[in-house]
Formats: sequence, C-alpha cells, structure tokens
Amino acid sequence: MTSGATWPALMMALLACAGCAPASRSELPDAPTGQRPALATDEAGLWMVMDRVEQDIRTSGRRVSDPALNAYVQGVLCNVAPDYCRDLRIYVLESADFNASIAPNGFVVVFTGALLRCRNEAQLAYLLAHEVTHYQRRHTLQQWRDIRSTVDALLFPEIALSVAGLGPAATLAELGAIGSILQFSREQEREADAFGLDRVAAAGYDPSESVDVWTNLMAEKKAAKDDEPFIFFATHPPNAERAAALREQAAALTASRNAGIDGVDEYRNATLAFRGGWLRDELRRREYDRTQVVLDQLTSDGVRLGEVAFYRGELYRLRGDKGDDQRAIEAYRIALTSEGAPPETHRGLAEVYRHGGDAKQARAEFDEYLRLKPDAPDRTMIETYLRTSE
Amino acid sequence: MRVDRTIRVSFPAPARGLIRGIGRLLLSALLLAGCTQTDSLKTSQTFQRPPGTARVLLMPPDVELYELLASGLQEPRAAWTETAKRNVVAAIADLLRPKNAELVPYVEPTADPAAERRHTQLIKLHDAVGYSILVYQYGGPNQLPIKQGKFDWTLGSEASLLQREFGADYALFVFMRDSYSSEGRKAMMVGLALLGIGVSGGAQVGFASLVDLKTGNIVWFNRLISTTGDLRTQEPADEAVKELLHNQPL
Repeated sequence: MTSGATWPALMMALLACAGCAPASRSELPDAPTGQRPALATDEAGLWMVMDRVEQDIRTSGRRVSDPALNAYVQGVLCNVAPDYCRDLRIYVLESADFNASIAPNGFVVVFTGALLRCRNEAQLAYLLAHEVTHYQRRHTLQQWRDIRSTVDALLFPEIALSVAGLGPAATLAELGAIGSILQFSREQEREADAFGLDRVAAAGYDPSESVDVWTNLMAEKKAAKDDEPFIFFATHPPNAERAAALREQAAALTASRNAGIDGVDEYRNATLAFRGGWLRDELRRREYDRTQVVLDQLTSDGVRLGEVAFYRGELYRLRGDKGDDQRAIEAYRIALTSEGAPPETHRGLAEVYRHGGDAKQARAEFDEYLRLKPDAPDRTMIETYLRTSE
Repeated sequence: MRVDRTIRVSFPAPARGLIRGIGRLLLSALLLAGCTQTDSLKTSQTFQRPPGTARVLLMPPDVELYELLASGLQEPRAAWTETAKRNVVAAIADLLRPKNAELVPYVEPTADPAAERRHTQLIKLHDAVGYSILVYQYGGPNQLPIKQGKFDWTLGSEASLLQREFGADYALFVFMRDSYSSEGRKAMMVGLALLGIGVSGGAQVGFASLVDLKTGNIVWFNRLISTTGDLRTQEPADEAVKELLHNQPL
C-alpha cells in the first residue's frame, strides 16, 4: 500500500473523529435529594449495578464495623453535605491504600489508609466534600453518557478503516477518542475540588488544609520515587497543579470569611485508637520509603510518640538493610521512653538482638514482652524458642 | 495500588469481579455454542427426593438485563431487570407447581444484621462455588484431577441455617444475564454482515443450582447459553426457565 493511498484515509478518519468527539456534552442538573431515578432511565441502570456492589461492600469482611468510627465519619460527611446527608452512606474499609470514592447511588467508601493520612477533621472533610461533588454533579452518569456517545461515534471511522484494512490507524482514532474521555474526567476532578472546597468552607472548616493533603501525598510519592503510568496522570491532575489550584481557592475563601477550624482534637479522639492497626497495615505493604514519610508526619504531630517510634523500629527491622538493626534498636529505645509504646516493642527488640546473635538480651526482652502481655498470641512460639535456645 | 490514586469516580468497583467473571465465562462459552444450549450436572450420590411435598426456597434471582449498544458497550437496564425478575419468578412457580414442590419465597432478614450477614455470606459462597463449577466442571481442560468427573460440590453445613429459618428442604439459586441489541447494534450487524464481518448480537446466559439444605450439597446444576429469548415478556421467559430447569430432579 502506498502512502499516497493511506494518508487521505487516515486524515479523514481523524477529522471525522475530531468532529464527532463529545463536544456536545450537555450540563446535567444536580442530583435531586431524597429520590431514586425513574426506572426507565440509564441512571437507574447505574444505580441497579451499584446497589449490588454496595450490598457486597456492606457485608464485606474488610469493613470496619466500629460504630463510633462510622458515626464520626458519617457526621463529618453530613457537615459538608447537609443537603445530601440522608442520601449518602459511609463504609470504612480496611485497606492501606489512600482512597475515597463515591457511587452514583450514594454510597461512600473511605479506606483506612486515607484516615491514617488525614491530619485533622478539615482534611477528611475535604476528601468527603470532593466525593459529594461527584454525586451532586452526577459525574458517573455524565461520564457514562460521554463514553457511550464517544464510542458509538467512533465506530464509523473504525468501520471505514477496518474495511480499508488500516488497523493501526483505527488504533490512533481510538486513542484520540479515549483522550477526550480522560480529559473529561480531569475536568470532573477539578470541579469536585472546586465545589468541594466551597462545601468545606461553608461547614466552617479551614479550606487551606486541603492543600496539605496533596503536599503530603507529593512528599510520599517523591520518597517512593516510583513512576506513575501515563494513564494515571491523564485521569488525575498532577498533584502540584491541583495543590496550587486549591491553595488559590482556599486563600480566596479564607479572605472572605473566618478562617475556619481544623478540628484536630476531634479527629484524634475519633481515630487515635485505630492508628496502630492502620500503621501495621501500612507496613505490610513493604513500601518502606513511603511509610517513612507517613511516620515523619506523625512524629511532627507529636501524639502518642511511643507508638510511632515502635512502628519506625518495626520498619527498620523488617527492611533489614545494612545498619537497620542498629536503627531499629534506637527507634525501639526511643519508643520505650515515650508515651504509648506497645508491649510488642520488647518483642521487636528481642528479634533484633536475636538476629544479631545476642541471645542474652533477646531472652530478657522476650521475657519482658510476655510479662507485659501474658495472653500474647505468640507465647507458645516464644517459649519454645526460649527453651530450645538454651 | 499507588498512593495518589486518590479520589475517583467509583464505577465499577472491584467487588463486581466475581459476578462479572461469571457473566464473561458464560459468554465465552457462547462463542463455542449454537443457538440454545443447556448442559446439566447431577450429584454423584443417589438423589433421594423426600416423600410428599418438597419445600423449595427460591433465593433472590440474580438477574440483570442489559442493552447491547452499537459499540458493544452494555448498558444496564433497571426497568427491564425488574420485569424480568417478576417473569422469572412466575415461570419458576408455574414450572414447579405440578411437580409437587412448594415454592417458599426468600425474605431478607433486614431487621437482623447478624442474620443478614450470614445469609449474604452464604449467597456469596454460592456465587463462588457456582463460578468454580462453571470453570472447573464444564471447563474441559480445566477439569480438576481431584474430581475425576465426580460432581460433589457443596456449600457446607452452614447452609442448614436456611432450612431452619425457612423450613425448606432445598434452595434454588438462579443466575441470569440477558442482553438485547439496540437498534443501532442491529443496523450495524446487518451492515457489516453485508461486508462479510460478523458481529455478535445480544445473548442470554445463566445457571441454576439446587442445594440440599440438610447437607449443603449442590445436587443439581444447569448452565444455559442462548442467542435467542427475551426475559422481558412472560412467554419467552417461561421458555428460558423451562430450558434452565429442564431435568431438575424434583
């Protein structure tokens, strides 16, 4: 096939696609309160599918069922969404990832990894308000309609090309259309941030806390040095751009009203009891560089530092790089002189000493662990070790 | 998963994995099948029907209907699904009536969260076992060596809680997915057929299983794959259910 024959067809396909890509997106009215969509609509179809998902999540083994924690998060949700309070349901799921999501039928999922990373109630309020905006603006429905019209429109050039036997060109045309879908969801993200921040301020929270959510995540990402796949950047605005937009809007909001509260005490009261378990889950991901940033942030918070230092010791012990045993011992020692070190600190010390061949110190620390935690689940294992290492 | 996969529109969620898997699996079998195909399995042990009337608990039929758009996207349709569920339940009742089997409707224990959890776990377990049967029992090359052709799948003794709570001898689980070509899809099928390109239309897939609530054993299982049929109207729905439940042992 000569290039003379190829190019016109390819150009035509791309032009056709540019013409039929979803320029005709119409604005949907906001989600109404207190009602389900009419059964015959495409929206009801989305609700039907998501009702099933919600049922799975409601009965999921990963759900954190603690009533007080659920009531607290639901309360913050209602603070930023008094209008939709009755239409939205919160599910806290055990997962170390940072994530929050909302479904078109009104269920909200918050991962414990996000709760671990929020420093105060205002930051949680921002995350939830962002999600509420996806619901309010019916972004899923908008996105579904957009994909539907784009992909249908795409068929004509695709068919023309496949008949002409031009496979690769069809792929190009597809990429163009998919690009416009991704662009659309990026707009939705921007809208969710902008509307969400208004809700945060209206509820009396300090909107500038939203900036810290992103700068903290950026610090984690930088420490982890990992490359996000391109498609991810396409669907989510780069963090710096997002943080800058939030900073600008927050400045405008705080200039026009009182700065608002950060709710740090309320947040700690509600979450501190769970923090140790969430840190344990975080460590299990074995992404140590990233976890260190989280621990640094918790250290600068200055609350229950013995617990934070214990998990720093655990991090070094588990990572096991050169010099980590010594670092672990130092961290455990700091933990023991601070508030809130769990009995497991002694077990951690014992493991490190044992690893270094210091049986005497190991024995002393194991004994101390078992003395502090008589009903330790690993008692039998430790006693066996102590007996056989004599 | 990356840390800043932060906030996103959640559709579809990972929890859909298994259900989607079942639908996909049945659809892929369709490619190998003809128009309507059923293929049933029975317990390896001798099936003994209880004397007198058998009480059959009808679990909530897992039915979803979709419109197949020209692009091949499937759009969930709530109104069709509602109608289809009603039709399927009515068809099952009609079919079992002359067999001296009494249909016991399932009632969700909404007022009792603990009971609801137990029930849901049992339903999820059935999803998983049903999926395994489709993969490993029908699967040809996937056949598990340990089964040696035996059909001895079970939900375990926990299933007896349904016997206690509903006074039923058996539970009947029904899973159906149905899709219908949009006008655009039909036009495209015709148009492309003229050009010699084959494009598939809507399809009806499903499975049913009968669980002995004393033991939790799945005593009968059937798979349905069809390119015709319509659950949205009673008569074709009756036909589909008849295919799905043909040679059920009650």
